[in-house]
Amino acid sequence: MLSLHLDNLAKSFPGLGSPVLRVDFLTIGAGERVAVTGGSGSGKSTFINIVTGLERPTSGKVAWSDEDITRLSETARDRWRAEHIGLIMQDFHLFPGLSAVENVLLPARLARVADASLIARAHDLLKGVGLSRPDQRIETMSRGEMQRVAIARAVLRKPGVIVADEPTASLDAEAGETVGRLLLDMAGETGSTLIVVSHDQRLIDRLDRRITLGAGRIVADSLREEAAA
Amino acid sequence: MIRFILADLRRLWAGAVVVVLLVALATALGVTVTLQERALRLGSARAADKFDLVIGAAGSETQLVLSSIFLQPAPLPLMPGEVLAKLSKDPRVVWVAPVGFGDSFAGYPLVGTTRALIGSTVSGFAEGRLFEKEGEAVVGAAVKLPLGAEIKPMHGTAQMGGETHAGVVYQVTGKLPPTGTPWDRAILVPIQAVWHVHGLGHDHDHEQDEHHEGEALQVTQAAAVTDEHGHSPLEAAREHAGDHRHEGEAPAAGVRDTHADEDHDHHGAIDADADIDEDFAADAPGLPAVLVKPKTIADAYKLRQEYRKGNTLAVFPGEVLTSLYATLGDAKMVLSAVAAGSQGLVAAALVLVTVTHIGQRRRQIGALRAFGAPRLSVFAIVWLELFLLVALGIGLGFLTGLAAAQMIANAFTVKSGIILPVGFTGEDLRMALILLSASAVLSAVPAILAYRQSPAAALRA
Repeated sequence: MLSLHLDNLAKSFPGLGSPVLRVDFLTIGAGERVAVTGGSGSGKSTFINIVTGLERPTSGKVAWSDEDITRLSETARDRWRAEHIGLIMQDFHLFPGLSAVENVLLPARLARVADASLIARAHDLLKGVGLSRPDQRIETMSRGEMQRVAIARAVLRKPGVIVADEPTASLDAEAGETVGRLLLDMAGETGSTLIVVSHDQRLIDRLDRRITLGAGRIVADSLREEAAA
Repeated sequence: MIRFILADLRRLWAGAVVVVLLVALATALGVTVTLQERALRLGSARAADKFDLVIGAAGSETQLVLSSIFLQPAPLPLMPGEVLAKLSKDPRVVWVAPVGFGDSFAGYPLVGTTRALIGSTVSGFAEGRLFEKEGEAVVGAAVKLPLGAEIKPMHGTAQMGGETHAGVVYQVTGKLPPTGTPWDRAILVPIQAVWHVHGLGHDHDHEQDEHHEGEALQVTQAAAVTDEHGHSPLEAAREHAGDHRHEGEAPAAGVRDTHADEDHDHHGAIDADADIDEDFAADAPGLPAVLVKPKTIADAYKLRQEYRKGNTLAVFPGEVLTSLYATLGDAKMVLSAVAAGSQGLVAAALVLVTVTHIGQRRRQIGALRAFGAPRLSVFAIVWLELFLLVALGIGLGFLTGLAAAQMIANAFTVKSGIILPVGFTGEDLRMALILLSASAVLSAVPAILAYRQSPAAALRA
């Protein structure tokens, strides 16, 4: 369970006049469940890339529970991300040719941390997301099933933060519903902080807080209770 | 990691197979050239092993060795028969054997020689016994003739438009064990019989009376300038002149012409039951070559020195082969350069293919990093995947090269009788290691690209 502090954060790309993302100050508490919304080009993807350490900001500080990940080397950030962040993406990024459970375990295996207990956990997680055939080849699964495998992969190492980028956008309503519910359940189970980029209103409504981005800046930040009030 | 690589290769199996085959072919090309050249060198050296010193008439050293040891049909000048007589009495000589060639039967060369040569170069017989009469023959291991078979020799070879000697029949009495030399394909007959067949060594008056056997004169150029002994009319004239007045007195031009014209008159028959006389007198007929076994190495050098003067030529086959190998080496260099060039091209094509492939896999590689795979793992996956394919290709290439070289060697053995020992040596191991390390370095190129790729940028692509 990690908390996030962003300070004077800016990310610009060469050739572009204004920064694609500019956040003067933002805190997300440990265990908080946050939705990030905004139109295309609003800076959502950049936001995700920077808070997960996939990209380094041009300036500013990204501190997860007092650890400023902008100061880490690329290799150290990879290791930090593997340990603390569970990532779920719109188009799954599962690897064809491998089974469901092999996909769940792949990043852990490549990082050489997959021991017997982690393998057992992978099987449990697949059962937990409602998949009874861990040895099924990934390319034979439906999109909803694939995203469930991706969720199991994200939470395998009990990350402090789960980051989901449009997890339901490519799914039909029913599968999206299941995935949304599983996401919240899993985050609750591990006590992880949850950050979800989404346009899915039903999913957004289930989260505690909603941050809206526009043109690279935070244009609205509301708790659900306040919104309801 | 291995499972991931295997899954990936299974998915891209067609491309993987092409890569492996390309590498295998390029490797096999180089391996075949190397193996074949070495086999040819070793095989010919072994074939010449038993023959310490070859003496023939002055002429080409290479041709002398090719004809006498590799039994290559070609015209050779003759040297006077007295050389043989002198050598057989020389105390420095263990044995000396004349070789006479020019005839063939069913594609096998007929070689006239002595019992001394056969007895001292091979150990025992596979079947049967040595020839004892003029009309008997011994065949090499690769000659497909049974004991008792009849051999009707032919002038030159069938391809050269040769004709069968009328009334001359040898009977096979023995078969030699295999020696791995061209002599395995030879039919060995008493030299005396060869002389008689060609109307030499008999009483000369009798010879002149003999009926012309009606040899067709429209023979190929090679046969036309070569008579049945494998020498040109010019040398034939010299030889005949030598028969009459001994060597050294050059025949007058007119005499030479007459003899050349009469060349085809000199045909005889053999007396199949005649005993073999191997006690060569000074007036023995001319010979293309004699094989000499000197007693010591010093004797060998002295003999060579002595017989290199005037109208004889003495050579160590090994020495002549060495200069031939130099030529062979040049040819090998050219072929190796061609092979290396093709390997370079394949390597370049591979780098191109994999760099493109990495470009297509950017998202996958980015995702691996995003999910927490260490950069080194990504590097290792890309590197190992390519290196495995290339290493497999190299391994297959070596096997294919070996098989190809073996096939060529077998075909060569069937044609020439020379056994070519095809096999790998330490040199090939070194070559394999060099190739493997080169491919390891090469595989690192796309791996470094993948390593340096930013995961966020890769995912955006």
